Amino acid sequence: MADHIVNKRDIEFVLYELNDLLALTKHEKYEGMTREDFDIITDEAIKLCKEKLAPLNQAADAEGCRLEDGQVYVPESFKQAYADYGAGGWIAMSHNPDLGGMGLPVPLAIMMAEISIGACGSFMFYPGLTVAAGHLVENFANAELRDLVVPKMYSGEWTGTMCLTEPQAGTAVGDVATTAVAIEGTNEYKIKGNKIFISAGDHQLTDNVLHLVLARLPGDPPGTKGISLFLVPKYRFDGTGKLGERNDVTITGIEHKMGINASSTCSLSFGDQDDCRGYLIGKPRKGIVYMFQMMNEARITCGIQGLALGGCAYRLALEYTKERVQGPKMTERDPSAPNVKIIEHPDVRRNLMLCRAYTEGMRALLYRAAIHADTSHTHPDPEVRERANDMMELLTPIAKAWCTDIGFKVTELAIQLHGGYGYIKEYAVEQYMRDVKIASIYEGTNGIQALDLLGRKMRLKKGGVFLMWLQDINEFLQANAEHATLAAEISAIDKAKNAVAECAFNFTMMGKADPEAAILGATPFLEAFGYVEVGRLLVESAVVAQPKLDAIFAREGATDDEARRQVVIDNPEARFYDSKIKTARFFAANLAPKAVFLAKTIKTGDRSALDIVF
Amino acid sequence: MKILTTVKRVVDPDAKVRLNSDNSGLVTEGLEAKMNAFDQYGVEEAIKLKEAHGGEVIVVSIGDSAGTKEIRTALAMGGDRGVLVTADMSEIDPKGVADLLAAVIEREAPDIVLMGKLSVDSENNQVGQRVAAKLGWPQATFAFTCEVADGWATVGREVDGGTANVRVKLPAIVTADLRLNEPRYASLPGIMKAKRKPIEELTPDDLGVELEPQLIIQGYSLPPARAAGEIVDDVDSLIDRLQNTAKVL
Ligand SMILES: Cc1cc2nc3c(=O)[nH]c(=O)nc-3n(C[C@H](O)[C@H](O)[C@H](O)COP(=O)(O)OP(=O)(O)OC[C@H]3O[C@@H](n4cnc5c(N)ncnc54)[C@H](O)[C@@H]3O)c2cc1C
Repeated sequence: MADHIVNKRDIEFVLYELNDLLALTKHEKYEGMTREDFDIITDEAIKLCKEKLAPLNQAADAEGCRLEDGQVYVPESFKQAYADYGAGGWIAMSHNPDLGGMGLPVPLAIMMAEISIGACGSFMFYPGLTVAAGHLVENFANAELRDLVVPKMYSGEWTGTMCLTEPQAGTAVGDVATTAVAIEGTNEYKIKGNKIFISAGDHQLTDNVLHLVLARLPGDPPGTKGISLFLVPKYRFDGTGKLGERNDVTITGIEHKMGINASSTCSLSFGDQDDCRGYLIGKPRKGIVYMFQMMNEARITCGIQGLALGGCAYRLALEYTKERVQGPKMTERDPSAPNVKIIEHPDVRRNLMLCRAYTEGMRALLYRAAIHADTSHTHPDPEVRERANDMMELLTPIAKAWCTDIGFKVTELAIQLHGGYGYIKEYAVEQYMRDVKIASIYEGTNGIQALDLLGRKMRLKKGGVFLMWLQDINEFLQANAEHATLAAEISAIDKAKNAVAECAFNFTMMGKADPEAAILGATPFLEAFGYVEVGRLLVESAVVAQPKLDAIFAREGATDDEARRQVVIDNPEARFYDSKIKTARFFAANLAPKAVFLAKTIKTGDRSALDIVF
Repeated sequence: MKILTTVKRVVDPDAKVRLNSDNSGLVTEGLEAKMNAFDQYGVEEAIKLKEAHGGEVIVVSIGDSAGTKEIRTALAMGGDRGVLVTADMSEIDPKGVADLLAAVIEREAPDIVLMGKLSVDSENNQVGQRVAAKLGWPQATFAFTCEVADGWATVGREVDGGTANVRVKLPAIVTADLRLNEPRYASLPGIMKAKRKPIEELTPDDLGVELEPQLIIQGYSLPPARAAGEIVDDVDSLIDRLQNTAKVL
């Protein structure tokens, strides 16, 4: 049951063959950890997700959340699941062991995120927001507050939220109007204001909820420079963590949504009775700076939603197309020819291949980003750390926006592959599309990601970070230019890369001549960049797979095409490596050229979208 | 209380196992390995007994060196230390397994041994019984309940057409059926702790056991492919076929 929620083989390929997760164990932080430990963790992660989370997904979606007498109730089944998830140590897998985290490498936490979001996406908001909020407290709160609350968050006793958005302050987070005023003679602040769209904002899963609230202190400047960060509990607590009376935080409503129905999305009112108390985290006016420091990992996790839900939808579609019978083969002239499984039809195969290439591409991109993220913290050499950090900075907006847009596209294709049944709830695939859509909107809309890439990331170190990326991909392409079987694929990625590089250099001129028109190019540029990076990683995967496949052929004595095909049919390892090569081929032939096309559209400098009177 | 429990590393029962080209063995390359499902119930029961009565849980496995993973998983669930007897499983029969286990049990002298009722790969259902016979210990197989008090174990057994309750004097061998309990998941803290728990590796020689297989696998073959079904026109012809062709009515 629920076999479609995970592709363990590909996860292991990305962790240990495309990347070298075990290289991280040479860093002091992970000393003594072994492949066996990671394998046990992987198996337990899959077991928990398949057996405890996946069975909740559809029912929780149908049930949704309700608000009664100022308290939000989420599906009751989540209560046990949250307790299990916390007790298992899964909430803060890669966080500080001194505070109840597990201190494991980031890529393993990313793996768990992929599997668990696939199993029950709406459930994962509760642990996900908790660890994000806990990490902020861990990094920036004073030691006393940190040591008191972080272990409670990482263990699953209390949950957390991130309260940025207000009705007038969505993308424009600098317009936050919630206020905070120090209460004399205490370390507390009085908080007043309204937040909306707060995920996991209230529920009955744990005894307390800690809100991390962006608010303004009196006299601070307008905009992002005048925003501070506060911790505001649902229930007050004393110096030992014992719960006291309810704080003046009111749940004024919950949203009724397209998807993630079992994740509560709350409107919160702080200080209706003028008695909402909170604690300042870190220094005044640093709220946005703190948030931004946590942004990369949160955005990569956002990309994981695209991968996880897209991947599940694809695997369901794959199962379905192997069962559904419709019509004879198109090339069959004989009217009495038998009907075939729809997976035999070329157009169905093309759609499956799109889903597959996108899914494996997202996985390669995101897990590589996770390796960079970890290296940037744990590598002993400061130069390597800096390089990894630069690479992650550059790739984060792509990881977020490309994977959430493409993840959505995959869920849509997967519905298409089911025909009418895909539109029917019973078949479970439509939920993935509803659940994944939000990921392109929050954590900075994908439009904002594109602006971040073009406006900030491309200019990092005066363009030096982009040049480093360029050098890295060039080294890979040159090293494999004469590859015996993959030279054509290498060349396709090279063309796509050149188009994106040329486009990047043109932007500087465009920006000077017509800045608004240049901004029009941001989204297509991010998309094109994504096709190049993902194409490169898929071809790199094929380069890794080819000798392993050849070795199996040699061992099995398969010397001609027919014998090789039989080995691919019979031997699952051969089939896996062969599929890596076919997937790279498909991407290079059918998708990488999109980068060339997109670069061309940017080059036209067309400004009709600006000139039109709507 | 000293509790000994056994785990076997098996190919995932859901994986597609193929025969090799000369039908002399199975191809398991690239297939997942797992802890035998019935052993998970045995391990869980062992840990529950320890939680109730105190003591120590020793996890024993026989197989190749990769088997430390299954032992380590059981240690992560709550076992205390492991013993791996390294042996080539393709050259060892149920009697050999029982001989090796009996030797380990004699060394460890546990109060109770909890095992799976069978392993899901070869489904021989012999080892628990053989170990009991070899040691001259009482046995209670197919357990779905297990209570230990005052030197006795009271075991509810699943038998054809119902259940049976037996009392066995300890030390005894108990083999677990799937309704015995719900095996816990290994937690991450458990997995991290298990890294520091010892696993002793032994060979049959170390145990003074000479393996003389009494069961030798000559070869494997697949069941004949099933003939295609037939679609009949109406109920009458269906009844006719059932009566006269299949002769089941
Ligand atoms: C289910 C759900 C859960 C959420 N969870 C949380 C949460 O836990 N915590 C929290 O604080 N918030 C949360 N949000 C809020 C979310 O982050 C915001 O909705 C998001 O930031 C966009 O803000 P907005 O809705 O006001 O849209 P707007 O800012 O009004 O944007 C509308 C459109 O305009 C575009 N746009 C706006 N400004 C610009 C610009 N300067 N340049 C180019 N394009 C622009 C946007 O890209 C978008 O396409 C959640 C929202 C939802 C729906």
